[in-house]
Order: sequence, then structure tokens, then C-alpha cells
Amino acid sequence: MVEQLLNALTLAGLLFLVSAGLSLVFGILRVVNFAHGVFYMLGAYLGFTTVALSGAFWPALVVVPLVVGTLGTLIESSTLRFIYRRPPLYQLLLTFGLALILEEGIRILYGPTAKGIDPPAYLEGAVRLGSLQYPRYRLFVVALGLVVAAAVWLFLRKTRAGLVIRAVAQNSEMADCLGADVARVRTLVFGAACALAGLGGVAAAPMTTAYLGMGIGVIVDAFVVVVIGGLGSIGGSMAGSLIVGAAQTWGAFYLPETAMVIMYAVMGAILIFRPWGLFGEPE
Amino acid sequence: MSPARALSAAALAALAIAPWVAARYQLSLLTDLLIYGLFALSLDLIMGYTGMVSFGHAAYFGLGAYASALVLIHFAPPVPVALLAGALLAGAVALPIGWFSTRATGIYFAMLTLAFAQLLYTVAYKWRDLTGGSDGIAGVPKTDLFWGGPSLASPRAFYFLVAACVVLSLVLCRAVVRSPFGRALQAIRENERRFTSLGRDPRPFKLAVFVIAAVFAGLAGALFAPFRGFASPEVMFWVFSGQGLMMVLMGGLGTLVGPILGAMVFILIQEVLSSYTEHWMIFTGAVFVLMVIFLPGGLVGTARRLRARA
Repeated sequence: MVEQLLNALTLAGLLFLVSAGLSLVFGILRVVNFAHGVFYMLGAYLGFTTVALSGAFWPALVVVPLVVGTLGTLIESSTLRFIYRRPPLYQLLLTFGLALILEEGIRILYGPTAKGIDPPAYLEGAVRLGSLQYPRYRLFVVALGLVVAAAVWLFLRKTRAGLVIRAVAQNSEMADCLGADVARVRTLVFGAACALAGLGGVAAAPMTTAYLGMGIGVIVDAFVVVVIGGLGSIGGSMAGSLIVGAAQTWGAFYLPETAMVIMYAVMGAILIFRPWGLFGEPE
Repeated sequence: MSPARALSAAALAALAIAPWVAARYQLSLLTDLLIYGLFALSLDLIMGYTGMVSFGHAAYFGLGAYASALVLIHFAPPVPVALLAGALLAGAVALPIGWFSTRATGIYFAMLTLAFAQLLYTVAYKWRDLTGGSDGIAGVPKTDLFWGGPSLASPRAFYFLVAACVVLSLVLCRAVVRSPFGRALQAIRENERRFTSLGRDPRPFKLAVFVIAAVFAGLAGALFAPFRGFASPEVMFWVFSGQGLMMVLMGGLGTLVGPILGAMVFILIQEVLSSYTEHWMIFTGAVFVLMVIFLPGGLVGTARRLRARA
């Protein structure tokens, strides 16, 4: 029971790192970033490279988000920036094209085989919790998810930059009139979201390895998370991650064949009552 | 004769004589192109005319393919019966999914359709007894046109069946978008709030067009299974839904003919590139990104704009 709960929290931690960025980008840019999962995958692969080059795990947690985030800002300012005025369909399609390019690029660079990463030595092995042995690394992922969630929340609520971001999310034209540099906010938020996804990828790699197709796997789950939680809401991402994490973990435990179905059933049930998600607002 | 009419007459003539001009491989490629064209055409009804982006349209193509494959393998009826089965199953499944998904709008709609499609994909993947799991169903026969009628086993005969289905579907879809119902769809696309404030409820319209599009996608899938001889989970995968969106956009949103052309161009690019490199996806992706940024009207939309300017 405790073990299942911890598994659910681990999964929720990873899902939060991905879905928070997805939700943030939607809130600020009004774009659903289909390529977001690929940034997660890129994070895992770059994590593999960083660990291979430096021989240690910790540098990857810092370097990879920076690299993925920088790449994100470059991509935003070279493609998405030009089509914000179009109907949302075009932005979705553009990010779909970007996802194809990035995914195939990773395939070219790393080849088709999965790349495993070892967790750092002192996170290997298990911790004794009462009668239960639980992998230390998974506890670290839970903690990482919690720390990032708290950091993102504090940043958005308590800092001046967070205030500007929330203003742009609420009404970008008004924020523009009041002197916020909306274009820059968009670029930086996109980059920050990609960095979070990259961090999620690094954190996931020791558990799942880095493999092709992990991007789409996670983006579909992250879509379900933000649909449940409500797009554009960080609190919604947290709640959604916990719900999806729980549904998948207990689903896989009690009804292994139909775990996916349970996740969608939960989503369907929530959407009957709140079509815009738990924490979202009606369009 | 107007230029548009002359073009359609030329296209029909080309379709009619193609089997005598094209080599065996080319004819099979053309049949393929037409089937994908029908899939893209069906997607244009919801995407181009109603402004709803479905990210799970491949599911209905897949349902059609599985239904047709199972019916043909177990009962070996004439092919049109299998086509009917595929179209009906796709429509029947689209009804509850559409009822759900059309509660949401915009991006939520896209995500819901994606989630439901992934769900159906998972079912096709896991239900080994019925669908053969990841292997799919192989050995789907091309039977006759009707009981005791001519066989469709020859490439030429099957090509004509596919071409007839595509032309007929195009005519029907055109009738749909030009009907009052179709006008209502376009009104919803242009301004859903205004549509509502005029006293109409958009949801029944959206649900209806969602089901109609699924029926045509199911028909395309039902043609696909006997043509290729198999049905497998790949045809339900999200990648194929995404490719459908790419085909529609490349050809021209809301033009019906455009998506058919878009599908042809898309598959041809893939066909040509894949003979040079296994990494053709990266180039397709790049072409697509450039088109989204610079040619939002697609091939047909851009051609029309150029002609209007000339």
C-alpha cells in the first residue's frame, strides 16, 4: 500500500515536471506545444551524454536543463514567434512539425538503441521504511518534483518576474500597454518550460532509460494531466499529476490489462462535470 | 466551361485512363494515394469547415480497417459489404466519443480526441484474440464486387473501386459543405459565440460532422485493409492522425480537393525521400514547418490566392 503510494508519487513527480511546462506555455503563449514531450526525451538523451562525459550524475541536473532551455528559446524565436496571430491550429501543427524534426534528429544522433544512466552511487539501493524496502532514487524523484513545484509556485507568486508572467497570461495586450516586454516573456517562458521538461527527462532516465518514443508516451499522459487539471494552471498540473499518477499506479497494480483505460475513464468522469478541467477557467 | 470544371474533367479523365498508362507499381501507389486522400478529405470536414482540430482521426481509419479485415476474413462477403461494415463501425464509435469531445472546445477538443484515439489504439494492441495484437490481421482477401459478380483481385479492378469511392465521397462531401448544414458548420468555424447568440446550439452540428467525418475515414480504412491485405495497430497510432493534419494543411484547409492533393504530395515526398535516406521524417518535418509559416493556405489556397491576384 505504502509502496504503491510512493510509486504514484514518483510518477506524479515526473508528470508534473513535464505538464507544468506544457501548462505554463499554454497560459502565456496560448500554444499547445506538441513538441514538449520531445524536449523531455532530449533531456534524457543529453543526460546520458553528460553523465558519459563527466562521469557524474549531478552535472546533468544542471547542464541539461540549461541546454534544453536555450534550445527552446532559439526554437521559439525562430519559428513560433511569427505565427501568434494565426488561429491556434497553426501553432499546434507547427509544434507537431518541430516534434518530428527533433525526434528524427535524436534518432540520427543516438541511433535506435536505448541508453541507460546509472543513478549516483549514494542514491542507489534501497531505503528501509518500516517493513518496506524502497529504491532510494525514486524517493529522490518525489523530492525533486516537490521542490520544483514549490519553486515554480513561489516564483510565479512572489517575484516581480512572476507577476509580469501572470499579467501576460491574463491579458497580454494590456500587459504590453503597461510596458511588459511580451515577446521576451514568451521566449523566456517557452525556454523555461523546455528546461523543466529536460530536467524531467534527466530525472526519468535512470528509471526508464532514454529511448525513442518516450516523448510521445509522456506527452499523451501530460495532455491528460492538463486536461484534468485545467490548462494554464500550475495548481491544476499538480492535482492532475497526482490523479494520473495514482490512476496509472493502482490501475497497473489491480487491473494490469486495462490501466490505460482507467486513466481515461477518470478523465472522462471529471470532464463531464468540468469540461475545462479542475482548476481551469471556461474559455 | 469554367477553369474549375475543366480541371475536374481533366482529373476524372486522368483517373479513368491511369490503369492503362501506369505500370503495376505506379498503379498500386496511386491506389494508396487515393485511400490516404479520402482519409484527409474526411478530416477536412471537421478541421477545415468546422474549425475543430481532431488529433485522433486515425482511430476511425483504423476501426474501418479492422472491421473490414475481420468481416472479409471470417465471412468473405463482397467487398462493398466490408466497406459498409467499416464505415458503420467508425461512425458508431465516433458517436459516443464525439458526444464527449464536443463538450470541449479548441485545444481541449484536440486533446480529448487524441486521448480517445490512444485508448482505441491500446485496445487494438491488447485485444490479441480479436485483433492479433501488434501483429495485426494479415491475409485479408480481395473478394468480389457483389455475390457472383466480378472479382476485385486484380490491381486494376481494385483501383477502380477505390477511385469510384473517392470520387463519390468527394461529391457527397461537397454536397454536405454546400448544404444549409454545411453553411452552419462554417458559421460555427467563423464565430461560435455569434452562432450561439443567434439562437442555435452548435453541439448537434459538431457532433453530426464529427460522425460524418468518421464514417468517411472508416470507409478509407475499410478500403485500406483489403488493398494492403492487412490491418495493424499502426494505422490507429497518433502519428497517422498527425500526418492526416499535415496532409490537410499542405493541400489547403477547407477546400476538400486540397487535402486529397495534399495527401498525394505528402506520400510522394515520403516515397521519394525514403529512397535516399531512412531519416526522411526530418525533411518532411522541415518542409511542413516552412509551409505552416509561409504558406498557411496550402497548395490549393495559395494557388487560388495567386489566381485572384493575377
